[in-house]
This record gives sequence, structure tokens and C-alpha cells, in this order.
Amino acid sequence: MDPPIFYSKAEFIETDTGNKVSRRATIAGPQNIILGGKTIISSGAIIRGDLRRTGPGHAVVISLGRYCLVGEGCVMRPPYKTYRGNFNYYPMKIGDHVHIGANSVVEAATIGNHVEIGKNCVIGKFTIIKDCAKIADNTIVPPNTVIPALALFSGSPGRFTQDLPESTQEMVEAATKTYYTRFQPLDR
Amino acid sequence: MAPSIHYHCPCLSSSPVPPPPHLASSSCSFHALHTLFFCEECDAVRCNRCVSVEVSGYYCPNCLFEVPSASVRAEKNRCARNCFLCPNCRNTLSVVPSDPPEDDGRSSIPLSAIGEPPFFLYCNHCRWDSAEVGITFEKPTGLAAQLQRFEDSASDSLEFERLKEHFEPFLRTSSLSSSSHLPTHPSHHTRTSSITAAASAALARDIPGVGRYNTANPLGRSRGKDKSVNKDEMPEYRSRVEIGASGMAGDAEFMKHIEDVGEVAGLEQRWINSWKSSLQTSDLKPLRIPLHSKVSKRCPTCTHILIKPEQKAQSVRYKIKLVAANYLPAITVALPHMQTQDATKRTVAKSTPDEDKGASATMYAGKTYAFHLALTNPLYDPIQVRLSVQRMHVAVSSDGTIPEKARRPPFAVSLPTSSFTVAAFAEAWEYEDDEDMFGVEDDELGLESPRKSGKDKDGRGKTKTVGVLEKKANLTVVGGEVVIGKEARGNVKFNMLVSYTYRSDDPAPPEDDDVPRSPMKGPEVKTFAFYTVVDLGAISPKEVLQVVDLDF
Ligand SMILES: [Zn+2]
Ligand SMILES: [Zn+2]
Ligand SMILES: [Zn+2]
Ligand SMILES: [Zn+2]
Ligand SMILES: [Zn+2]
Repeated sequence: MDPPIFYSKAEFIETDTGNKVSRRATIAGPQNIILGGKTIISSGAIIRGDLRRTGPGHAVVISLGRYCLVGEGCVMRPPYKTYRGNFNYYPMKIGDHVHIGANSVVEAATIGNHVEIGKNCVIGKFTIIKDCAKIADNTIVPPNTVIPALALFSGSPGRFTQDLPESTQEMVEAATKTYYTRFQPLDR
Repeated sequence: MAPSIHYHCPCLSSSPVPPPPHLASSSCSFHALHTLFFCEECDAVRCNRCVSVEVSGYYCPNCLFEVPSASVRAEKNRCARNCFLCPNCRNTLSVVPSDPPEDDGRSSIPLSAIGEPPFFLYCNHCRWDSAEVGITFEKPTGLAAQLQRFEDSASDSLEFERLKEHFEPFLRTSSLSSSSHLPTHPSHHTRTSSITAAASAALARDIPGVGRYNTANPLGRSRGKDKSVNKDEMPEYRSRVEIGASGMAGDAEFMKHIEDVGEVAGLEQRWINSWKSSLQTSDLKPLRIPLHSKVSKRCPTCTHILIKPEQKAQSVRYKIKLVAANYLPAITVALPHMQTQDATKRTVAKSTPDEDKGASATMYAGKTYAFHLALTNPLYDPIQVRLSVQRMHVAVSSDGTIPEKARRPPFAVSLPTSSFTVAAFAEAWEYEDDEDMFGVEDDELGLESPRKSGKDKDGRGKTKTVGVLEKKANLTVVGGEVVIGKEARGNVKFNMLVSYTYRSDDPAPPEDDDVPRSPMKGPEVKTFAFYTVVDLGAISPKEVLQVVDLDF
């Protein structure tokens, strides 16, 4: 029933695995970024794959699973800290079916599967978000916060607001798949 | 606001018919489909309001440690490890050492708990710091135990201990008597209700005019021997601390010398304390994080389990999950004139077609609008659906004080009068041909005006606003129409009865739908009916029409 969400065909690059990446997004250090497939990186998003752990060799900095959405103007930046006197970046791992709303800044360490993050959120450094959690629009999650499975967080600082329904996983999965299907090129 | 549909759970009333949609009670009786459960035994919808809930496990929402039920009570339902809430903003506190700040210019507070003592708790949101209120630790572990003495010596916890001692003899006798009568109840239920009864008795005795709190007994059984126990015969309880005697004068003195509002702890910061606490921000203590629980849910009528989560705290899987979405068709509502507009808004270079100006996101009084209901069948068998609008009996109050609201709903809704099928759900249909789905819909977008939806699709050239508009896999879209009166106000909101018939024998492969089932038992047809409330949105008075700007 839902109408397609059209994008300009010229703006997006579609990969073999169905990822759709806007040419207007800034993908720094693409060799350090993994997209799981059918994941959409919107216009104006900034993904900092270049902020990698010091040392030789190749390292995954940011990985996103399948059916994810990085909204318009989002910033995805790996978390950092100084540990025993050494400054370092740490990888960011994001599961499947994760939608991040427009203009949110994410510096999480891990985000599970079926997670919804609203618009204009700040997800602080080393935040851990478990499966099926949801972050309401405009939430400020301070660094090192742990967000348990099936919890809704909102406010500033982001706090537990309520438990989410038992069918959250199916709902989010259907929503992310539908979104990907609706996201269609317009050839002009 | 997008149009919405909610499903009825009849638990709030003895009548199976929901309240009229304009009453406040309506919103309490209707729920989103994905929040509802279904009891196969009772063949009925259940909601979070009526299911019985049992805790199946406790965990700390911060360290995610699964706390054994045995220690939950001793630890007072809070994390006994290293998890604390900021008393100022309720953020989770970090344990930080007193290391000299790193000079990387990024963060003055090192976040690793390896360093020099003393350690203190620090809020990286509001910068509250436990050292400022005189709390520091020699080692960064077992902080809860180190803070235990503060907690145990607090007057509220001392008073509570004393209260427990006072009630203990009574509880022992009453749980003995009631457990013999209600053997099916889990023990904590019995205990809870005796505590409630005891508290209620004490309250009734001490405060004139306070009625006895009656625990609603879901099983409708009388509490047997409980009646013979005279609760009033308990010895009188004398509180350890005189309430109100302490503090008052001090508070006044403190208030006289405030220089900054921040010195006074806000109500929100003091709210969760069970005891009257100090007004001063400097007296706020870190709070151990309250535990969360995983819960099982049971049907309130037959006590069958509807929800049973997996043991592991962070697992999102369930051993049992009987949700209404697997039994009832999912329905979504849309106003095609809104969607047309959405599409034009999003379509980058699409010129606005010759839409009539009424085709905006609002509905105006005196106009007629088409709406779409999309029904998705979750069953492995096709269903036959019939929709009907619940006739509304709007009571006009006798004194006629609210004539505006009490009038008859000033709109008329038409729904398809005949029944229609929604095809069976099949896994294969789910997402494979999604691409085609939109290919077909593509051309119909943009040229759809509110009154003409479905017209071109119906090859016979007959206008078909009301009726089946589209069938695709296990989805059927039907059209309805609403005629809004000239003087109409408020929302176009109506109750709709959905009844569907299905074959109740065990599911067969969906391909051979027409092949008769096992010869032994022929396909038995059953009917299930449920109410929904459909809210199409607010009606705008006609005069506003000119103000609408279609260019955004
Ligand atoms: Zn039942
Ligand atoms: Zn209910
Ligand atoms: Zn904890
Ligand atoms: Zn704080
Ligand atoms: Zn049952």
C-alpha cells in the first residue's frame, strides 16, 4: 500500500549486493567499511572509515549488516579513548535491520539487530545497544550507556522509558524490508 | 496525523461491543494490533491490560547481569554490582580514578578504571561527581557493597525493616491459611496479597474513613480462613522516627541562605525516595540501578501461557508467543488523496498535475473522500472477510449541556457490503516479487484524484470507490467512502466490525487450496469477529480551504 520513495537514479550507486549509496554521502576510508547488503546510505551522510586503530594492515572500522539505513546527514564515527596512555579508535559494529534517522550522530561500539534510532539523536561513544531496542527522536545517549534489548530510550540524557512489545522484531524487520523495497530509482 | 486503526480488546467491559469512538473510554479499549495477544483456548484477543504477568527473570539493565531471584529481595531489587544512577540527571555513572588528566586535549576524565585511588563516581552527562558529596572509594570494584552502609543506615530502610518485623508474625499465619486455600497461586502472589491486606487493615484502623483495599480476586473465590483472622487485633505499630519532626526548621534555615537555585534538589531528584529527604543537592546520593525483569504473560480467563520468553536476559526470542498478529488480519488505512500528495511532494521533477485544490492532506467539511483499507492475511488458508460500520448510538445528555459534541456523527461511511477473500499467506510471496508490486502501482500514482480512485482499473468503466480495489498475494485492498456533513467538526472516527471465516482444520500446503482436505474430517468453517476503530483524521472547516498552500 505504501507508495515508493523515489530517489534520483544518478545520485545513487547500487552495489552487487543491493547496497544503495548516495554520491552525496561522504564515505571516508571505504576499504575499512563493510555494508551487509540492501543497506542504504543517504545523501549527506558521513561515514568515517578512515578513523582506524593505529598499526599496520587492514582493519574493519565500521560494519553495517543487511537492510540498514543511514539517514540523511548522519555522522557515523568510531569511538575512541585513551587506554594506558595510548589514544586509539575502536571499531563500530552494527547488525541487521538497523535504521538511523536523519541528522543523528553515532559513536556506538555495538548496535544489535532490529534497532531503530530516531532523528537528531546523539549516540555517545562506546554505547552498546542490544537487539530490538529503540531510541526516540532527539535523544541524547551519553557515552558508555548500555541499552538493553527491547527497551525504548528517550530524553536527555537518554533514559529507559518503556518495554517494547514482544513482536518488535517482526515489526522492525517488516518495516526495514518494506523501506528498502519502496526505495526506488526515478529515471530522470 | 496519518489515518490509524486500532483493535478492540473487550476486557474493560462486560459487553463485547466497544464504546462509541468519541468517548474517552474508546482509547483505552483499543490497541495497536502488534501489542495484542491471542488465546487459542478461549478464541479471544487479549491485551496488556488484561493478561496476568509473572516475572520470569531479573537482570540489571546496565551491566546486564542476570540476578537470581533468590538474591533479588536481599539486594532490594537493585543492582548489587557497580551500577549507579546519577542522582542529578539519572544517567549511568562511571567509575573513574583520580589519575592526573590526560593531556590529549580531548577528555579531562580518563574512562578506564585502572589508575590511582581514590575512585569516584562521575556523570559524563551533567558532570555530577561523588567526590563533591564526600563519596570516594579505595578500590573500583564492589562499590555497591561499599555504599551499603549509607543505605542500611538510612531512616527509611531502618523503618522498613522494623515494619517487616512487626508484620512478620501476622504474615506467617496468614500465608499458612491462604496457601491451603489457593494452592494454584504462586507463593509470591499469596504473600503480596497478605502484605496488601495487612497494610490495608492497618490503614483502615489508623485513618478514619479509609476503606479496606479489596484485592480483586481473579478466580472469584472467597479467601476462606482469611475472614476469621481479625487484622485489627495486631499490636499497634510505633514508628521509629517521628515524621515531620526533623528537618522542618533546618529546611527553613537552609532556604533562607540559598544563593543559587541549584543548591535545592528538584522534586524529580527527590521523588523516588520513599522517605522525606534533604532539600539540599549536596545530600543527593548515587542510586543503585533498579533491576528490570523479563515477564511471562497468561490469559486471564484460562491461565494458558501467551508469552514465555527465553531465559537469557538479552535474548529477544520466545518459547511461547501467541500474538494476535498471527491470527487476525492486519489492516492499514490510507487516504488516497494524502498519498497522491506525498508522492508529488517527493517526486523530484514531477509537475503537479491538474489536481483539484481539495486534494490536500486535510479533509474538509461538506466533501466526500475515498479511503483504502488494506487487509493482510496471516493464516495459511484464505479468509473470507466482511466489514461493517458499527451503528452509533450517540447519547444526547438530558440537560443538553454539550450539544456540539453530543450530536450524531456528522459523516456517513460506506464500506463494501459483500464479503471478499484475502488469499492465504505463503512464505514465498513475502518479499520476492516486491519489485513488481511497485511497478504496477507506479502508473496509478499521481493521476489519482480523490474521487476517482480505482476507476481506471475497473475495465468496465464504472466508478469503483467502494469495493475491492486490488488483490496481491495475501493482501486485499478495499475502498470505502466517507461523506462529511457541511457542519462537521472533529475527527472522522468510527467503529468497524471485521468478521472473517476460515477453515479451522490443520493447515495444508497453500498450493492445493481447491483440493478437499483429509477425507476423515471435512473442512470446518469457523467465523471470528473483532471490532476496530478507524480514525481517518480531523475535519477542517470549509473556510480554511483558501489558506492551504499546495507548494509547501
Ligand atoms: Zn484463554
Ligand atoms: Zn484486554
Ligand atoms: Zn548492574
Ligand atoms: Zn548526571
Ligand atoms: Zn488459554
